Amino acid sequence: MKRIMIVDDEENIRLLYKEELEEEGFVVELAKNGHEALEKLPLFRPDLITLDIKMPGMDGIETLKRIRETERDLPVVMCSAYGEYKQDFTTWASDAYVVKCADLTELKNTIRRLLGL
Amino acid sequence: MAVHPAPYDLLKSIIDLSTSSMPIEAKLDGMLQGISRFLGSDRCLLVKPDEIGESGFLAHVSKERKPLWVNKESPLRGEQVLIEEQGLLCPTFACLPLYDDSILLGVLYIGFSEDRTFSSQEADLLLLIAKEMQWVIRSERAWGHAKRTKQLSTLWELSKALLTTVNFERIVEMTLTAITIGDGLGFNRAMIFLVNEKDRVLEGTMAVGPDDAEEAGRIWSSLSRKKETLLELITRLSPRSTSTLNSIVKGLRIPLEQEACILSRTVLEGRSFNIQLPQFEVGVESGSNRSSRTDSYREGWLQTRCEKGCHLGSEVGCYVGEHLGRDPRAYSFATVPLWGKGKVIGVILVDNLYNQNPITEEDIHFLSMFSNQAGLAIENALLYRNLEEVHQELKETQNLLIHREKMAAIGELCNSVAHEIKNPLVAIGGFARRLYREIPDGTPEKRYTQTIMIEVARLERILDDLFRYTRDESMAGQDCDLRDILEETLSMVSEKFDDRKVVVVKEFAQDLPKVHGDYQQLKQAFFNMIHNAYQAMDGEGRLSVRIRPLSKNGSSFVRVELEDTGKGIDPENLHNIFNPFYSTKESGLGLGLPIVHKIVLSHRGQIEVDNHPGEGVNFIITFPARPDATSVRGNGQARKQGRMAVSEKDQGEVPEKSLRSKTDEEDYDR
Ligand SMILES: [Mg+2]
Repeated sequence: MKRIMIVDDEENIRLLYKEELEEEGFVVELAKNGHEALEKLPLFRPDLITLDIKMPGMDGIETLKRIRETERDLPVVMCSAYGEYKQDFTTWASDAYVVKCADLTELKNTIRRLLGL
Repeated sequence: MAVHPAPYDLLKSIIDLSTSSMPIEAKLDGMLQGISRFLGSDRCLLVKPDEIGESGFLAHVSKERKPLWVNKESPLRGEQVLIEEQGLLCPTFACLPLYDDSILLGVLYIGFSEDRTFSSQEADLLLLIAKEMQWVIRSERAWGHAKRTKQLSTLWELSKALLTTVNFERIVEMTLTAITIGDGLGFNRAMIFLVNEKDRVLEGTMAVGPDDAEEAGRIWSSLSRKKETLLELITRLSPRSTSTLNSIVKGLRIPLEQEACILSRTVLEGRSFNIQLPQFEVGVESGSNRSSRTDSYREGWLQTRCEKGCHLGSEVGCYVGEHLGRDPRAYSFATVPLWGKGKVIGVILVDNLYNQNPITEEDIHFLSMFSNQAGLAIENALLYRNLEEVHQELKETQNLLIHREKMAAIGELCNSVAHEIKNPLVAIGGFARRLYREIPDGTPEKRYTQTIMIEVARLERILDDLFRYTRDESMAGQDCDLRDILEETLSMVSEKFDDRKVVVVKEFAQDLPKVHGDYQQLKQAFFNMIHNAYQAMDGEGRLSVRIRPLSKNGSSFVRVELEDTGKGIDPENLHNIFNPFYSTKESGLGLGLPIVHKIVLSHRGQIEVDNHPGEGVNFIITFPARPDATSVRGNGQARKQGRMAVSEKDQGEVPEKSLRSKTDEEDYDR
């Protein structure tokens, strides 16, 4: 069973992603910001992480940099409301960029692709 | 011995003279002649007050206020005689001072070359005549004074009228009205020419005056019936701007270098001219029959024959004169300079074409006084007008800046709102989808949830549009082949409208330079346009997509045309289609075309709309080609068929003549 960590400051988004992904058969752990994600990372040891970009405190881009310091091969999917950070080269260190949508098909497909499922 | 007329006849003739309507000089002259004839005097004259010295016997008489009778028996007794008075020392003479209260009006002098005495009857008669002369001079003085008072009050009223506005047109109108109105200066016609400093010309600004004598009569009689003050009248009246005279004068431009022209001279010399022309020649049959005299005065006054084209003489003066069809005895006109602050800013030209009243020096004096006021008012109005123009420009620039700032602020606001709304919307839509999967088919709840999903999807699209329009998109620069982008977009859109019958006609040039730009943005722009076209055609129609290179002014471009057979754009909305938040659709923010516009502009492109309401629209977009880019050889399936390749969708029949090529209209690069 693949383990996925969801990082998002919006509680309802976290809940939606958790339920949808658990239904797909993943083990899901939640974090509400960058700090929490970095704390939980060594304990939970996810196979993939989704990172919201706009978050108070430590944002997704900063979190991505910190993750990459230790976890070079961990697949990271950046999520944002719009495609506004696609041109920001710091997001290129991630493995995918998904624009948030009520229809989670694209996100699920991306996750499966990155996990080789 | 000469027969002396009876004293009664003399007195009668004196009284007749005094009550006649003759000018004062003629009256007094007649009286002196009467005295001379009656007494047989050798010299009889009226010495004016300014001709009387400080001392001398005339001064003595004036001071004493008593007549002086001098002959051999009663010579001058010690009265001083000035050198200039020596000519008056006849053997016999009488001096009678004329007074109006305390003001000296003159001294009546009667001299004889031989010694004689004055009978008491003669003395009484002379005293009586002196009294009559006194009365004549006094009433003339009083009248002259009243006239001056009237002139001054008129001038005051007119000047007051000029203070009621700063509007240039109105000031000029009122000035001309004041000059032509009967209670004002009373000229028949008046015209104003203003100096254009830049071009060194006098420009006809405005003219007021009836076009013919009939109209003149009509205007004057209608004016005299109204009971208004001069000020009220002038501020109310607005001269007919459609008069022939006005349109002629408005077209005139007289170079100041044309020094022979009286108008230029008025400006250059800064003084007035009062010109009385000799008799008009009536009934001119043809040009060759004109007498040399007629020609010479025409040339003399306004340079009718001037090669440089001063047609004032023929059009304004002479033409209208002939047009009158009666026998004008003479034509008088006058010009006065219009003085601004320290310089001549124009000329006023006046004439009395219709009633032929002579223009007196006094008229000119009065006109000059008024034109001094008018000149300042006109100059002020001109300055004010310039100021207003500059102010208007500033205001427009300011409005533009404010508009841009506003748009930027709105953009920022939209952007943050779009962000805030997106997350809750994703949550709503996401859970609705979860519900939808749980709910059994065929239940109302299934439909309700579906509605939530659909509406959320619509909101998401609107937000995406809004976000795209308002963000400052940084462009990813790469060389794009517009044919690839269009192919991709066409297939994306046709998938969305897969159940519709739309024929797509592609005319792609085989050799095409690349365009430097953002692939995703360009795709977005074409997507919006093609999407719009499909919607406009509502299921059926033909979409023509043409791409070809274009060479213009030595630069090369790529030209894309997207032509549909839809409804076209309502001409009323046409100028708003690129404005954000302006939508003719029932829903949506109408950001489709504004986004296209923004993307095209950021690619230094141009967008044209060839709109045929009810038939369709052709959007023509031109992008600058990437410099030095080697053209890409066409390799697509459709391109192999040539520049006007056709791709059929839905196996629609495409008639040959529907394929249009504009090769003959514009030159291609190669
Ligand atoms: Mg967030």
